[in-house]
Amino acid sequence: MKATLAIACAGLLLAGCRARDTRPLVAIVVPSQDNPYFKAEADAAAARAVELGYRVRVDAHDDDAYRQDNLVDSAIASNAKILILDNAGTDASVSAVRRATRAGIAVFLIDREITARGIAKAQIVSDNDQGARLVAAEFAHSLGASTAGHSEYAELLGRESDTNAQVRTAGFHAVLDRFPTLVLVAAQSANWSQAEAFSKTETILQAHGDIRGIIAGNDTMALGAVAAVKSAGLKGITIVGFDGSPDAVAAIEAGEMQATALQPAVLISRMAMDEANIFLRAGSTGKPEVQVIPCELVTKTNAETYVNFEKKK
Amino acid sequence: MSVPNQSRFAATVLLLLKLRAVLVLAILLVAFSILSPSFLTVNNLSILAKHVAISAILAVGMTFVILAGGIDLSVGSVAGLAGMVAGGLLTVGIGGHTTGAVAAIAIALLVSAAVGLLNGLLVSQLAVAPFIATLGTLYIARGAALLLSQGKTFPNLAETATRGSTGFSILGQSFVLGVPLPVWLMVAIAAVAVVVAKRTPFGRHVYAVGGNERAARLAGIRVERVKLLTYCFCSLCAGLVGLIIASQLESAHPATGETFELNAIAAVVLGGTSLMGGRGSIGGSIIGAFVIGVLADGLVMIGVSEFWQIVIKGGVIVIAVTVDQMQTRLQSRMAAAPSHTGGLREAV
Repeated sequence: MKATLAIACAGLLLAGCRARDTRPLVAIVVPSQDNPYFKAEADAAAARAVELGYRVRVDAHDDDAYRQDNLVDSAIASNAKILILDNAGTDASVSAVRRATRAGIAVFLIDREITARGIAKAQIVSDNDQGARLVAAEFAHSLGASTAGHSEYAELLGRESDTNAQVRTAGFHAVLDRFPTLVLVAAQSANWSQAEAFSKTETILQAHGDIRGIIAGNDTMALGAVAAVKSAGLKGITIVGFDGSPDAVAAIEAGEMQATALQPAVLISRMAMDEANIFLRAGSTGKPEVQVIPCELVTKTNAETYVNFEKKK
Repeated sequence: MSVPNQSRFAATVLLLLKLRAVLVLAILLVAFSILSPSFLTVNNLSILAKHVAISAILAVGMTFVILAGGIDLSVGSVAGLAGMVAGGLLTVGIGGHTTGAVAAIAIALLVSAAVGLLNGLLVSQLAVAPFIATLGTLYIARGAALLLSQGKTFPNLAETATRGSTGFSILGQSFVLGVPLPVWLMVAIAAVAVVVAKRTPFGRHVYAVGGNERAARLAGIRVERVKLLTYCFCSLCAGLVGLIIASQLESAHPATGETFELNAIAAVVLGGTSLMGGRGSIGGSIIGAFVIGVLADGLVMIGVSEFWQIVIKGGVIVIAVTVDQMQTRLQSRMAAAPSHTGGLREAV
């Protein structure tokens, strides 16, 4: 028994020691790999890194700053040259980014900013506020806010402790609150989740039978609302989301959703990896630290030109 | 002369304590009906029952496990896994061959039962503590769900390009006699579970194993087999819940079911089942699930913020468990006193 165990252990050790790979390591850390947005972002960064001749490791911190800390430590321990990070919180991530930078890793932040400047080599983010205003304007237009009479709408918010959820709802209301005809009758958090958005929308539709529109902080929740509206047998309810996920783009093409704001996740990941590559060679990216990339409005008229968080070539 | 009066008073208090879940449910129903005019409508009650069915089916499975002295933390992950197995079979298939809805559902339920079998074997044969064994399978099943699609969602389960309508949406979306099918499933499972728990030798064995495992073993009960079956049944219920959700959303997401185990355990505890095993009832768990469901939907209807919803749910659970302790103490005091309490035993 002991002998078999020893042999098994030795085998495992041997299997662990693959041929030495001398390519420099890029550590990619994103919030999760079961969300299409973060997955597209991680895949795009990894693919570009491999094209540029790097070795890649992808991990997820599950929006847990402590876990992110451990992943940064392990990137330092394994001598990574570049860290591409979609961080776990604007304030909570500063110390981890500083530690990585002090250890000689070039840190490139994507998707979400941190509050401190001058630590990361670049912070490339999509403009959540501009994107939120874009979809809100389309939403108001579709409800006929400036011409028709009073219309009731509901809002599904993301996880309320998440900065992006706050920025998006503020952007929505910066536009919608200017129309006195639009009346917000229910605002509930569905924690970014489709199943939760489904059951909460079902309940909201019961309480407020005259709802004409539902605006959601991300596409997953918008799709949950689509399913709930369908199951209630209602027609003509305007639903908009945020992110530009492939499922939402398909729902827009099918006429079930009105619009979404596409965050150029793939573009941002590629930019970050390209700039990191230039930085390693030249010692500077030649670009400002904070780069804000605008979101794009996806509606039925242009939906077929978008695929997996980027514009088709 | 004051002694019988006092014991009658204590008996009344005990009865009220035992009926607490029903009382809380009644209070909630009345309160929400007053606060929201659309709460007490046929449509809303039908949707409410459909939402409750999810946690009630989980709670019925969980009740058997807890009655037999165990706990199953893996139910949420099993729900997610079942949805993903069915979603994968319907849209991607094995080696390019997709299956129909019936086969997909059957295979997903088999996979769920297999996780239950693993839980049962770990707990009964290898004597791993249930909390640890099912914590392990919680992660294994969640990881497996993620691996099936590399983290992606399986979309469009109701209609695929190759097959047209799959019929998968019937499970979660159809109505029988005006009542949603998931509600009928809840009623059927609950009815079978009540009969099994109260009227069959297996049911008595579950209570016996949870009440005193050593005594049950000495009485000739096959303790291992009883435990194994409770875990398999619990996982089957969890798998069914995952399938219902996937059918309602017409898509399967690998993170579905996170923290469902806590909801199920909360429903069981609210219903008066002891976490130590041996004491409790299926009916109580169903009422517990209704309390949690009515609270969740009612608070959404009257527009209470998410943060307060979480605090209120936690408060209700803490109060329920505190009252449970009071009941246990009162019961043991009354058992010590010479009075008749017989008629109260099957209150809920």
